[in-house]
Amino acid sequence: MAVFDLPGWTGLAPALILAATALALFVVDSISPRSANRALLAGVSATGALASLAVAVWFIAAGVGQGGIDGLGVIDLFDGQFVVDAMALYFMIVVAVVTALVSVASYDYMADHTYQAEYYSLLILAATGMSTMAAANSLVTIFIALELTSLPSYALVAILKDNRGSVEAGLKYFLIGALSSAIFVYGVSLVYGATGHLQLDAIAVALEEDVADGFGGLLGLGILMLIGGFAFKTASVPFHFWAPEAYEGAPAPISAFLSSASKAAGFVIAFRVFTTAFPLEVTGELIGLDWTLAFVILAIVTMTVGNFAAATQDKVKRMLAYSSIGHAGYALIGLAGLTVDGGELVMGAAMMHLLVYGFMNTGAFLFVALAEYWGVGRTFEDYNGLANQAPVACFALGIFLFSLAGIPPLGGFWSKYFLFTGAISVGTTSMLLVAAALVVNSALSLYYYSRLVKAVWIEESVVDRDTLAQPTGLYAAIVFAAVMTVVLLPAFGPVSETAIDAAAAVI
Amino acid sequence: MEGAFSYAPAIAAFPLVAFVVALAFGKYMPKKGALAGILATAGSLLLSVVMLVAVASGEVYHGTIYEWAVGDALTEVGADGIEFTFGILIDPLSALMLVIVSLVAFLVHVFSLGYMNGEGETGLPRYYAGLGLFTFSMLSFVLADNLLMAFMFFELVGLCSFLLIGFWFRTRSAPSAAKKAFLVTRFGDYFFLIGVVAIASTFGTLQFAGEESFVAAAETAIADGTTLFGFGPETWVTITGLLVLGGVIGKSAQFPLHTWLPDAMEGPTTVSALIHAATMVAAGVYLVARMFGYYAQSPTALSIIAFVGGFTALFAATMGVVKDDIKQVLAYSTISQYGYMMLGMGVGGYVAGVFHLMNHAFFKALLFLGAGSVIVLMHHEQDMWKMGGLKDKAPVTYWTFLAGALALAGIVPFSGFWSKDEVLYDALIVGLEQPVILAAYAMGLLAVFFTGFYTFRMVFLTFHGEPRTDTAENPHSVGWSIKFPLVVLGALALLAGVANLAPVAKLTGMDITYLEFWLDGEYGYVEGLTYHDYHELVAFEEGYISSETVTMLLGAGLSLGLAVAGAVTAHVLYNVPEPTRHTAKLGGAYDVLRSNYYQDEYQVWLAEGLTLPLARAADRFDQTVIDGVVNGVSTASLFGGDRVKRIQTGIVTNYAALLVAGFIALLLVLGFIGGWFL
Repeated sequence: MAVFDLPGWTGLAPALILAATALALFVVDSISPRSANRALLAGVSATGALASLAVAVWFIAAGVGQGGIDGLGVIDLFDGQFVVDAMALYFMIVVAVVTALVSVASYDYMADHTYQAEYYSLLILAATGMSTMAAANSLVTIFIALELTSLPSYALVAILKDNRGSVEAGLKYFLIGALSSAIFVYGVSLVYGATGHLQLDAIAVALEEDVADGFGGLLGLGILMLIGGFAFKTASVPFHFWAPEAYEGAPAPISAFLSSASKAAGFVIAFRVFTTAFPLEVTGELIGLDWTLAFVILAIVTMTVGNFAAATQDKVKRMLAYSSIGHAGYALIGLAGLTVDGGELVMGAAMMHLLVYGFMNTGAFLFVALAEYWGVGRTFEDYNGLANQAPVACFALGIFLFSLAGIPPLGGFWSKYFLFTGAISVGTTSMLLVAAALVVNSALSLYYYSRLVKAVWIEESVVDRDTLAQPTGLYAAIVFAAVMTVVLLPAFGPVSETAIDAAAAVI
Repeated sequence: MEGAFSYAPAIAAFPLVAFVVALAFGKYMPKKGALAGILATAGSLLLSVVMLVAVASGEVYHGTIYEWAVGDALTEVGADGIEFTFGILIDPLSALMLVIVSLVAFLVHVFSLGYMNGEGETGLPRYYAGLGLFTFSMLSFVLADNLLMAFMFFELVGLCSFLLIGFWFRTRSAPSAAKKAFLVTRFGDYFFLIGVVAIASTFGTLQFAGEESFVAAAETAIADGTTLFGFGPETWVTITGLLVLGGVIGKSAQFPLHTWLPDAMEGPTTVSALIHAATMVAAGVYLVARMFGYYAQSPTALSIIAFVGGFTALFAATMGVVKDDIKQVLAYSTISQYGYMMLGMGVGGYVAGVFHLMNHAFFKALLFLGAGSVIVLMHHEQDMWKMGGLKDKAPVTYWTFLAGALALAGIVPFSGFWSKDEVLYDALIVGLEQPVILAAYAMGLLAVFFTGFYTFRMVFLTFHGEPRTDTAENPHSVGWSIKFPLVVLGALALLAGVANLAPVAKLTGMDITYLEFWLDGEYGYVEGLTYHDYHELVAFEEGYISSETVTMLLGAGLSLGLAVAGAVTAHVLYNVPEPTRHTAKLGGAYDVLRSNYYQDEYQVWLAEGLTLPLARAADRFDQTVIDGVVNGVSTASLFGGDRVKRIQTGIVTNYAALLVAGFIALLLVLGFIGGWFL
C-alpha cells in the first residue's frame, strides 16, 4: 500500500489539502483582486473539499486507524498532539462533504455579493479548522483548531455587510463565542492544574496513576468547563443562544455549514476528549460521579428546548435553527450513553446521525438558500405553494424534512432508530429517560417539519409568482443531498459498520 | 391416484374463473355469464366426483399449497413456532361435501337460466359473478385443511351472501336484509376469530388432520393434564370450542342468531336455494363435522350443541306454522332442519348429522327451486293464500315439490325420514342416560309434528284446492331449465336415503349402511378423522329401552307417527277447496308466533337500547377525555414552545447572563452530587 511509503505528517492530508486550498484562493484573489471569477473561486473550493474527501475515504479504505493484520494502525503525529484514526477520518469526511455541498451552492447564492474570494477562503479555512479538530489529540491543539474554526465563522456570519441581521448576528456570535472560549480555556487550565498534562492520553495516564488525587473538585470543574466549550460548538443548551440568531442572520449556505459541519466537528472533539482523556471509571472515582450524567442532562434539556422552541416559529430558517439545536441533543446521547465497558453502539449511532444529518440538514438549509435566492420571503406563509413552481426542489425538501423528523425509510429514521435502541440497550434509568425524551421530541418535531411540507405542497400560494429560476449550483447541491439522504439507507451497512468500528476504536 | 388429487385446486378455481369472466365479460356474453358459471360448476362437479371415486378407491390427500407466514411463537403447550398455510384436505367428508356443493351449485346455475334470464332481470353479470364467487368460497372452505383458511373462506362466504341477498339493491328491503345477514353472522364470526386465535396460541397449529393437528394436540394436553391459560385442559377445549361455535351458530342460523335467515329471503330464490342447501348455512354444520374430533373431547360443548340444536329445531318449526309467504315457510324449515343436524352432531351422531346435511341439501334445494318455479308460475307472487290448484297446471313442479315435502316432513321412504330418524335415534340412546340430551331429544321429536304440519299446509295451500286468484288460474309456463334441476333433485330426495338405511340394516343384518362405512374409513381415510375414532372420544353413555332394536323401532315409529299426524292435521284443515286461515284457534299464541317470538324486537332493543347508548358514551369519552388529552398535549406543547421561544430575547447581554446562569446551575447540580464543595 502506498500509504506506507508516505511520511507520517501526510496523515493529516485531508486537513492540509483544505489549508492549501484556502491559500490557493488567496493567491487567486491577489492576482486579480478587482474581478470576482465566481466559477473559478467556487470551483477551487469545491475541488479542494472533494480532494480532501477523496483522501479521507482512501485512508479509511486503505485501513488507516484499523488494528489487526489488514489495518495500518493509528497514525500518531507530533508526539501525540494529533492522531489520525478511524473516527478522525470519519469526521473529516463529514466536514469535507458538507464543505463541498456548501461551496457548490454558494456559487449561485453569492452572486452579486462583494467579498467573493474572502468568502470562499474563510469557508475553507473554517473547514480546515474543523478537519483539524477531528484529529486534534491534545487540549492545546484542540483549542487552536477550535479557534481556527470559530474566527472565520464569525466573519462568515457577518459577511453580508450591508445586511443588518447578518452583522448583528455576527457580533452576537462573536461575543458568545468569546465567552465560551474563555470558559473553555479556563477549563483547560484547571485540567492541567489537576493532572499536569495537556495531551489526552497523558491525562488519562496521570489519572490512572493517581496524580490528581485530592483535586477531584478542581478536575470536575475543569471537565464541566470543557463541556461548556464543546456545548458552544455543538449549539447545546445553555450555550446555544448564539445559534438561532447566527443561523438566521447568516447567509443560508453558511447556516448549513455551521449547523452541520461545525456541529459535527464540535462533537468529534467532545467524543475524543471524553473517551481518551477521562476514562469513566477512574474519573468517576475522582470527581464523585459519572460525567455521563452531565451529558444526560444536557441531551434532554437540549433536545427539549430545541424542539419546543422550533414548534411555534413563523420563520422557516429560524425553525431549522432550533431544530438544529434539537438534533444536537440527539447526538449528545452518544456521550450520555457511554458506560465503563461499552457504549460503542450508542456512540456509533450518534456518529451515524451526524453523517446523515450532514446531508439532510445541509439540504434543508440549502433549500432556504434557494428560497432566499428567489426572494420569496422568510415565513412559512411565504413558502406556500412553492411546489407548483419548483417540484423537484420541493420534493427534495420533503425528503430532508421527513428524514429530519425520522420517518422510515429515510436515513434520519435509521440513525435515530439506532440511537434509540442504543440508549435502551444501556438500560439505566437515566438512559431510558433519554430514550423517552427522544421519542417525545421526535413526535413533536414531526409537527413542525410537516408544517413546512404542508405549506410547500398543499397550501395555495398567497401571491402570484413568476416562474422561478433554477440555479444550477444550488439545485445540484440540493439534489445530491437528497439522493444521499435516501441512498445512505442501502449503504447503511458499511456506514454503520464504519461508525461503530470507529467508536469502538476510541473507547 | 396422486395425479387426480393434483387437480383438486381446480375444483375451487373453476368458479373463481367464472366469477372473473362474468364480471369482466358478462355484459357481452349471450346469457350474461350464465354459461360460464354452468361450465365452471359442471367442471367442479366432474372433478369432485373424480375425488369421490379416488377416495372410494382408498386414497386420501392432505397437502400444503402455499405457506404465507411462518413465525416463532411460544405457545401454551410448548410448541415453538407456528405456520399459516393454505392447504387441501380431501378425506371422505370433504369429498362428499364437494360433490354436494358443486352439484347444487350446478343445478342452481341451470335453474337460473329460467328463473333470472327468462324473467328478463337486469344486472345479470353481477348475479352470475356473485354465484361464482359464492361457489368458489364454499368449495375452498370445504377443501381447507386448517382452521384459519377455513375462517377466511367462511368470511368470504358471508360476504358473498351479503352481495347476493342484496342483489335487488334498489328495493328498500333487500339491502336491509343483506346488511342484517352480514352483521348478525359477523357477530358470530367475531367469536370464531377469537377462537381461532385462542387455538393457535394454545396449540401452535391450526391443522385439522394429522399428528400436527390441534385436535391431536388437545388430546395430548388432556391426557397429560396440561394447564392451559390457567384452566384445566378440558375446560379450555370447551371454551375455545364454544368460541368457534359462535361462528357456526351465526352461519347455520341457530338460536339466537337465526334472525337474519328469514329476512335473507329478499334475495333471488335461486340464491336462497344455494345459501340454504349447500353454501352459507351448510358451512356452519360442516365446520362442526370438520373439527368434530375437537368437540368430541368436550362433553359440555357437545351438550350445548345438542341442546341448542334441539331447541332451534322446535323453536323454528313453530314459527313456520303461521307464515303465509311460501319462502318464509321454507326459511323457518331450514333453521329447524339445521337444528336437527346440530342435535345429531351434539349427541355424537357424526354420521347421522352428515347424513342429514346431505339429504337436506338435496331436498331443500329442491323445495327452494320448486318454490322458485311456483313463483315463476305465479308471476312473482309469493303469498300462498293467493295460489291454490297449481297441481294440475304444473305437474312436474307439483310432483317434485311433493317429493321434497315428503322428505322434509320425514315420511318413509323419502330421504329425510332416514336421516332425521337416525339423528333422533342417536339422541334418544344418549338421552336415556343424559337428562339434558333427553330434553333436546324431546324438543326435536315434538318439532317433527310441526314440520309435518307446516310442510303439508304449504303443499295444500299452494297446489291443492281451487285457484284463489286469476294468476293461479292462468299460470306462466316454465321451461326445461327449471324442470331439469327439479327432476334431478326430486329423484335424489326420494332415493338419497338409500345411502344409509340404518334401521333396515339393524333389522335384517345386511351391511347396507354405506355412508357409515364411508365415514368410518372403509374406503380411503385420514388417521383420526373417522367415525369410530370420534366415537371413542365422545364420553356419552348410551342406553336402550329393553333392546337396541326395540328402541330403534319405538323411536322411528314415534317420529313417523308424529310426522304423519302433522300432515293429516294439515290435510284436514287445509286440503279443502276453499281453505280458511284457522288462526283464531291459536288464540294469543298466534301473535307471538306471527312476531317470531319477538326475537327481532329484543335484538333491535339490544342494538338501540343498549349498544347505541354505550357507543354514545364511548364516543363522548373519546371526544372529551381522549381528544381532550390529545388536544391538551398539543396546546401545552405549543404554549411551552411559545415560552421557550421567549427566552431568546435578542439582547446579547441577556444571553451571556443566561449562559452563565445555566452553567452555574449545572455546576451546582453536578458539584452537589459529586461532592466537589466539601
